[in-house]
Amino acid sequence: MAAGIHMGGPMNIRCLLVLLFSATLVSSSFAEDVDSRLKALEDRSAGQEKKIEEQQKTIESLKGEIAKPKEQEPRQDNQGDASQYSPKVSGFFGGSNLSNPNISLLLDAFVYSSSLKDEELKNRGIPGFTTQGLERRNGFNLGAAGDGGELFIFAPVDPYFNMYANIPFSDEGVELEEIFVVTTSLPAGLQVKAGKFKSNISRLDAQHPHAWDFFDVPLPYRAFLGTEALGGEKGVQFTYLPALPIYTQFGVEVLQGENDLLFGADARSGPHAFAFFVKSSIETTDSSTLYFGPSVLFGKTRNTNIVNGAEFDGHSTLYGMEAVWKWKRSTREGLTLQGEYLFLTQDGNVTDTVAATVDSLHRRQDGFYVQGIYQLGRWRFGARYDALELFADTFKRADVQQRFGETPWRATGTVEFNPSEFTRFRLQVAHDRSGRDGRSNDEAILQMIFGIGAHAAHTF
Amino acid sequence: MKKIGLALALSLAMAGQAFAGPNVVVTLPWIGSLARDLGKDRITVTTLVKPSQDPHMVEAKPSMILAGRKADILMYNGLDLEIGYLPLILESAKNPKIVPGKPGNFDCSRFVKTIEKLTAVDRSMGDVHPLGNPHYHYSPQNILRVAEGMANTLVDIDRANSDFYQANLKSFAERLHERQKNWHAVPLKGKKFVAYHKLFEYLADEFGFRLVGYVEPKPGIPPSAGHIEKLIEDMKDRKPNGILTTSFYGKKASESLSAKTGVKVIVLPADVGSMPGTDDWFSFMDKTILSLK
Repeated sequence: MAAGIHMGGPMNIRCLLVLLFSATLVSSSFAEDVDSRLKALEDRSAGQEKKIEEQQKTIESLKGEIAKPKEQEPRQDNQGDASQYSPKVSGFFGGSNLSNPNISLLLDAFVYSSSLKDEELKNRGIPGFTTQGLERRNGFNLGAAGDGGELFIFAPVDPYFNMYANIPFSDEGVELEEIFVVTTSLPAGLQVKAGKFKSNISRLDAQHPHAWDFFDVPLPYRAFLGTEALGGEKGVQFTYLPALPIYTQFGVEVLQGENDLLFGADARSGPHAFAFFVKSSIETTDSSTLYFGPSVLFGKTRNTNIVNGAEFDGHSTLYGMEAVWKWKRSTREGLTLQGEYLFLTQDGNVTDTVAATVDSLHRRQDGFYVQGIYQLGRWRFGARYDALELFADTFKRADVQQRFGETPWRATGTVEFNPSEFTRFRLQVAHDRSGRDGRSNDEAILQMIFGIGAHAAHTF
Repeated sequence: MKKIGLALALSLAMAGQAFAGPNVVVTLPWIGSLARDLGKDRITVTTLVKPSQDPHMVEAKPSMILAGRKADILMYNGLDLEIGYLPLILESAKNPKIVPGKPGNFDCSRFVKTIEKLTAVDRSMGDVHPLGNPHYHYSPQNILRVAEGMANTLVDIDRANSDFYQANLKSFAERLHERQKNWHAVPLKGKKFVAYHKLFEYLADEFGFRLVGYVEPKPGIPPSAGHIEKLIEDMKDRKPNGILTTSFYGKKASESLSAKTGVKVIVLPADVGSMPGTDDWFSFMDKTILSLK
């Protein structure tokens, strides 16, 4: 309890007062109880009078108690001044913020122009993968992932935990995308993360939308996980970093499994998504680094957005392999080549929501993307090619292979100008043939991202 | 299969720990140089940032996290110079020895009398450091204090060698006093320089020269044509003795300014090892002072 009061600092003075108030009430009422019983033996009514008196006393003393902490406040401030001269210790995130956590706010906005109408975009899923369309309108929009603002709050909790929260919000509402703690003092290279967080499977899943190299996620992510990748999931993650000559991190996650497209919140009562991943890295030269690693995510699935007008119930497993090569000639110039391959197996039943007929469904589908980002000074240039059904296109409903049309693919190019670390302007054009209807979605997007406040260091 | 992998990992981890002496991981080369002077062959020093890298723009790499994982002490510059990558290393290294509050987390700036501490600051002012100018490795007075703190920490962590570290500190201090005489013999008092970035304020402070202009309009913001024009006018009046820059920092902009004003460019080492003949902190300071002559 005491720790709880300390933690909030001056912010929690009010809370402290309430606690003091109630504590005084409890102790004084106990005393009163004994007193009033003694008096009752002598004179009941006199005792009641006394009781009123005592209560008044209590109120007076409470007034004193309430006033006390207020007087102490400036004294505490003075102590703060004095301690400025003692050796300062930098914390996890630098600076010296005890009373407030680190806070940052992002504005993410874009102007969108497409060869398709808003209505067509909304209904444009990827047949055979997802019925979810694109939530964007021609003209002004807020947020690549539908959220115009993102609030990040983070700070150490105590010597044992750091806490992070990521709260995206749009003009329609607020989400709690992530809120979790990470251990900082476990021995032997072990770490536990718990709360609601973005899974570390694959390369992009744990990245926040503002850190993406393109406006949107690649097709295999959209096809298997949705437009925001897996998104925040409730659960717990264990990671282990052995002291090997080569950086290799092992991770295990137990997740609730609330992603609409791969799992579904009601697929089973209890956690029903599990992940394993390995992340490795070697320095290929003095100025270049290779990152690679496999991951697997599996669990129970029950949802309604794989096939139109039908509910799926079954098991899913998503295998992933990531590889990134980063070359940094200098601060000014660098090149990143990145690719990922995802493979999905899904087995279960689909129930037609109207006719209530039940068919089996077996899927073996894959997808990949390759991308390159070249940075020169404050400019960055990017190109990406992503496609689905590279080697596997099995989609058997009632043991009959379904045909959905042409292979979904897309080509994307970007030019970015970053006047400072905290501002990004991005122009992206894409030729998107993922609708499988012979029509293309030719888009042009001008995106702007601004950030204020503390900024947590970016992961590699 | 997984068990074999784990066993392999564990045995390799053990093998790593068999190495004697504290494993000291430092962010910047000058910190490594100090640590080597104090710990000599009884410690292992790993430096995360290369001398050729701009310390403001370093990105975290897995190799740094792995080094942090194996560290007994992590020594860093502080004053938020490493804010872009150090927090990630501290958290991702999963090493309780180096988290803030532990003796293995050594912030060199704790021992520094900082200058240019800003009270009112926002990002419209560019890449400013509100806790004070972080480039104190050009300041012999501060470096001596850092070395003292560093020796004490080495003693704390490796008591068996405490006499060794104390003796090395003594000889470091003696060497520093000796060199100080040479450095202060160089006539720098009253000289005026224009600098590319706010790197040399401690140097100016201690050796009595003045910085009369900056090529960058604001720290970390590249100069605009308008700013350069104004600076050229200003330089005609003030007649500085040189334009100070470093090998990775605005050399091009400084050279073009030099061509327009006739004021020579002086390239100073940014850190230990960033130029030939700057292999340790003393030779780095030698080179710096002599270049200003």
